Amino acid sequence: MNMPHSISETQRYRRICIAVLLGCLALSLICVVYPFYVIRPFRAQGARELAAALLVMRFRSAATLIACASASAALVVYWRAQPSRWRRACATAGAAFVCLLAALARVNVYELMFHPDDRPSFAAASRTKLDKDEKVIAVKIGGAARAYPIRNISYHHVINDVLDKVAIVATY
Amino acid sequence: MRLTFHLAGINNQNFLMRDDQTGTYWQQISGKAVSGPLSGSQLPFVHSDELTYGTWQSEEPRGTVLQDAAPYRSGYARKDWDVEMQRARTVIDFHEHGLKGRDVMLGIQSFGASRAFPYDQVVREKVVQDHIGAVPVLLVVAADGQSVRAFRDRIPGVLGAPDFYRTAGNPQGALLMDAATGSEWNFQGCAIAGKAKGLCLEPVEVIKDYWFDWRNFNPSTTVYGRK
Repeated sequence: MNMPHSISETQRYRRICIAVLLGCLALSLICVVYPFYVIRPFRAQGARELAAALLVMRFRSAATLIACASASAALVVYWRAQPSRWRRACATAGAAFVCLLAALARVNVYELMFHPDDRPSFAAASRTKLDKDEKVIAVKIGGAARAYPIRNISYHHVINDVLDKVAIVATY
Repeated sequence: MRLTFHLAGINNQNFLMRDDQTGTYWQQISGKAVSGPLSGSQLPFVHSDELTYGTWQSEEPRGTVLQDAAPYRSGYARKDWDVEMQRARTVIDFHEHGLKGRDVMLGIQSFGASRAFPYDQVVREKVVQDHIGAVPVLLVVAADGQSVRAFRDRIPGVLGAPDFYRTAGNPQGALLMDAATGSEWNFQGCAIAGKAKGLCLEPVEVIKDYWFDWRNFNPSTTVYGRK
């Protein structure tokens, strides 16, 4: 016959679950907020903080996913150990927020501001109407010449291209 | 392995990009990997020029042009974008050589040295002969008065760094004449008449950049015309 958990054991489980939830929340917040705080336009970036922010960005997708899974598991255990409705609701909100942060960690804010041109198209110069004074970045590889109007590339910033079978990335 | 890139951040107003294949972050101005599995690697530069469309089209009538991506066209820079950008603030600055942060410079980092040329001054002078480290170079302004190219000031078979002079220009596109051979040269750095006809000067990579950005990534840069 299974003996019920003692009250102190139940309280211990609850505390562990809350600790896990709070830990996951803290980790996820750092993963999302810190890089956004450091790497934003019109703010000077120091070398060390930039290196730290990039390190966080490299691993935050995996870290926040693990945090979301851990928070969800802790929530399940917490529900079993906690009869109070409002405490369950708070824990659920916390776990949901951790998972929301996991989704936000995958959002490239910079590409929301400057949409990429993932399928750049090109036309012959003879069929393109641009002012003669308009500025372009000009590249020539082999016999292939290409012009990237600056007013276009200064928005997208990055154009992945292939010119005369050579893969290049044009940037501005 | 081909790398494809996306905009991924900013570092003192010079952007960072991330490659999809390894997740490495790269600095745009230097092409250097700054974080990730390929950290320390260098993307090889492809020679490029910043020209007016008119000059480029006259040189490459069979070239192709990047088209607008229709959904984002409304976000593209306006015609006076460079005037507007002059008013934008900078997050870092270097009060050296009497230069302001958004002064436009032509930067050359080659031959073991970095040197910046004030764009307005080069345009006024039309032909600039100078040195990058110990190597003589030549900066030439096109007939459009805006496009600039840089070359190594060395004619194959000629000793030393010949002097170049601006000519009045002609329909064949001659812009310069050199004192060593008396040949006429076009904006592409090739001799189109004279003893050196058929020879071309070696292009040197030049980047048009704001002073604050050039100086930030080239801390040991010198400046043409300034002590």
